Amino acid sequence: MTSASAPLVAIRALHKSYGPHIQVLKGLDIEMKPGERVVVIGPSGGGKSTLLRVMMGLEKIDSGAVTFGGKPYISSAGPDAKTVIDTEVRRSIGMVFQHYTLFPHLSVIQNLVLAPCKVRGEKKASAMRRAQALLERFGLGAKANAFPAQLSGGQKQRVAIARALMLDPKLMLFDEVTSALDPELVAEVEQVILQLANQNMPMMIVTHDMWFARNIASRVIFCAGGVVVEDGPPEQVLGAPREERTREFIDRVFHIKQ
Amino acid sequence: MSLDFSVLLRFQEALALGLWTTVKLTLICIVLGCSLGFLVGLARTAPNAIVRGIASVYVEFFRGTPVLIQLFWIFFCLPLILGIELSNLASGVIALTLYMGAITSETFRASLKSVGREQMDACIALGLPRRVQVMNVILPLAVLRAVPTLLSNCVSLFKESALVSAVGMADLMFVGQNISNNTARPVEVLTVVALIYFAIAFPLTRAVTLVEGRILKKLAI
Repeated sequence: MTSASAPLVAIRALHKSYGPHIQVLKGLDIEMKPGERVVVIGPSGGGKSTLLRVMMGLEKIDSGAVTFGGKPYISSAGPDAKTVIDTEVRRSIGMVFQHYTLFPHLSVIQNLVLAPCKVRGEKKASAMRRAQALLERFGLGAKANAFPAQLSGGQKQRVAIARALMLDPKLMLFDEVTSALDPELVAEVEQVILQLANQNMPMMIVTHDMWFARNIASRVIFCAGGVVVEDGPPEQVLGAPREERTREFIDRVFHIKQ
Repeated sequence: MSLDFSVLLRFQEALALGLWTTVKLTLICIVLGCSLGFLVGLARTAPNAIVRGIASVYVEFFRGTPVLIQLFWIFFCLPLILGIELSNLASGVIALTLYMGAITSETFRASLKSVGREQMDACIALGLPRRVQVMNVILPLAVLRAVPTLLSNCVSLFKESALVSAVGMADLMFVGQNISNNTARPVEVLTVVALIYFAIAFPLTRAVTLVEGRILKKLAI
């Protein structure tokens, strides 16, 4: 899969439910090309976060398949079948969560080097060097030996991003990473993500921040009721949506904002 | 009744030896019992129902019977069943470790439960293998969160260990009883023995509460 148009991610007929009655994803089909930055928007409960969790291999699926870089990644033959997840493929994907999920008993730099040392067998000294450089880049050089509880929310989230980057992911997933932050801390986190975008890091982002969505997305997907309602460039989906449901949602969101 | 504590001066060395036995027994059983308790606590959350079942039966049995009968059983019945001689210390260690394992497994079970789904998500997202998840994330977090309860478990064990005197192990309690019988001065001797237990147990709880407050506050866990 070296051709430029070959998809990085291909999601086919993805179905996912929680228990017998709550169907969250009802046949999702999404293709993502290398270098794309996909922002997923939509009402709560529409399946956005579930989509990212499935992509990260954190959830069982009922049916459907996901391929990554042309390789089979996740599949399930049916609701009673086992969800097959290729953990090798999973390692090329990084994720940042809403609630930071830093390891509270480890210092910032220990949070960063744990996975590279334990998963890839990297030498501690080399991992520490890379970690320190990454922290400097994110303006956290002085916090290497602090514990997560001593950081602000914005700092924690930047550490979480750095931690995920330590594994050189081929795709980054951001699940409402600024939703738990105080408003004045949102920008510092978004700056870091924009920095990654400038380096062409492929990413899939779930956010409620429409300003951020417009500034970072190369493509926006509006997801509601477990299906893709609209999919296109940000100017279209956020600016002049074609679907009625998208327009209603966008109107409501911007109405609240203004 | 006149009290004469000076009779105890003659028995300083015997009391010290008894105390050493008590401390040694307690320390060994704390290390072994907590390790066992952690594994059993983990087993009680295992996906496999048989593993869970065995772990529960063990815990419920040891929590539901007096420590004294557990001690007697291991001192007198286990050698008959195994057909081997067990030293006093070995029997005491086995009995109190099994007891401690059952008690601390409950402590660990609660703290393991508190290591939430979010931490597990982070482990998976970072691709940490199960062994690393347990050793580097779950174990340290569970232990840190369990510290307060574990500590009181340890103090309990220190006090419960006095029961080994009933099967003839020369611990502090046993030595105290002997001196008391020989000198016919139970008030002085037993009071001093009680004070020795207290002098060790009380500062232990205080000191660790202090340390624990600092560590847990720093880590916010």
